[in-house]
Amino acid sequence: MQSSLVLQNLLSAPVLFFFLGILGVLVGSDLEIPSPLPKLFSLYLLLAIGFKGGMELAHSGLGPQVLLTIGAAVVMSLLVPLTSFLLLRLRLDGYNAAAIAASYGSISAVTFITAESFLNVLDVNFDGFMVAALALMESPAIVVGVILAKLSAPAEDREAAGEQENGTDLENGGGSLRWREVLQEAFLNGSVYLLIGSLVIGYVVAAFSPAGLEKMDPFTEKLFYGALCFFLLDMGIVAAQRLRDLRQTGAFLIGFSLLAPPVHALVGLLVSALLGLSQGNTLLFMVLCASASYIAVPAAMRMTVPQANPSLYISTALGLTFPFNVVIGIPLYMALTRYVIPVG
Amino acid sequence: MKRIDLFLSERELNRVCKAITAAGAKGYSVMRHVTGMGPSGEISEGMDFSGLGANAHVIVFVEDGVLAAVSKALKPLLKRYGGVGFVSSAEPL
Repeated sequence: MQSSLVLQNLLSAPVLFFFLGILGVLVGSDLEIPSPLPKLFSLYLLLAIGFKGGMELAHSGLGPQVLLTIGAAVVMSLLVPLTSFLLLRLRLDGYNAAAIAASYGSISAVTFITAESFLNVLDVNFDGFMVAALALMESPAIVVGVILAKLSAPAEDREAAGEQENGTDLENGGGSLRWREVLQEAFLNGSVYLLIGSLVIGYVVAAFSPAGLEKMDPFTEKLFYGALCFFLLDMGIVAAQRLRDLRQTGAFLIGFSLLAPPVHALVGLLVSALLGLSQGNTLLFMVLCASASYIAVPAAMRMTVPQANPSLYISTALGLTFPFNVVIGIPLYMALTRYVIPVG
Repeated sequence: MKRIDLFLSERELNRVCKAITAAGAKGYSVMRHVTGMGPSGEISEGMDFSGLGANAHVIVFVEDGVLAAVSKALKPLLKRYGGVGFVSSAEPL
């Protein structure tokens, strides 16, 4: 790997702020971000990236490569949880294996945004339609995770669930309510809704009211980098706090959370090469395949697979995979991309 | 009169509050950002951006006759989404 890429990434402001957050927890600093702010910044980042993506999509149009790339992204979000589940099932029960597999099949928007910043620093171009791939990869993995959990549930649990469905005592919804909630959580959870909504608004404004883009520019462009730094500072604090939970995970899961990202990224690289993606788009595609969700999936799993232990699927995705991707993964994937994908 | 204390994820707050009023309670009070220690470990504001952070504390005062209906509405929600509830006696001032 080119050491300059690693250094460039390590010395970028967002990654340094991420380390500052981790260090703060490790040295026992009383640094604390008031709770509504991280939520505001996460919403801002989703809005800004969705809007910019929609704007770029309006410029690039919906050509065959765009549709193929988005299709491949959706296929990856179905395949990654299936293969991860088979591997995780070697050591874990069905519920935990399904929940963790869903996390790794879904994506981390913050890792994606960090990769975009990295590409901006390197002055490597990428296309806005990758944001559409980002938005569409979150939901299928959640549905696959829930199906896997149901299929692998012990027989007595399935019988109990059947009896509960016949009883239908919960909000008059019974069994159908659970599926309605799964689908609602998968396709209409806050982050997916805002991302797709902003993408559509960005597209519409760019196509029909281009003067509006200039007005949004100070908000979606100029504030973006600073907001990302602030959010990653908070993510550093949360990730460091989650490191404590890793004592519950054991060597197998720690190994999985560090090895799965590069393996999934390699598959992403292969797919990108077959699709003929540019270097920038390839890196983003690899990051999408390699990242794990610690926002939408845990929320959905907590509701639909309460038997799974959140300490396992949140701490691996947030405490290990996220820092790995942000610090080492992104420059590593870029080095591989440069090796395989020609400049153009 | 009975007092019900509920501790649950803020994410399910709306659902629970709707069930409380639908069951016949005249009102409730909500305190957000409740942290501490529960059966599944420390509860912090650390994941508030995902809705998986702190808990909410809901206090409901109901007449004895309404308690059964409120309890029936809340039990399956607490069981499904997690959370605990306690009932105690209360005297108006």
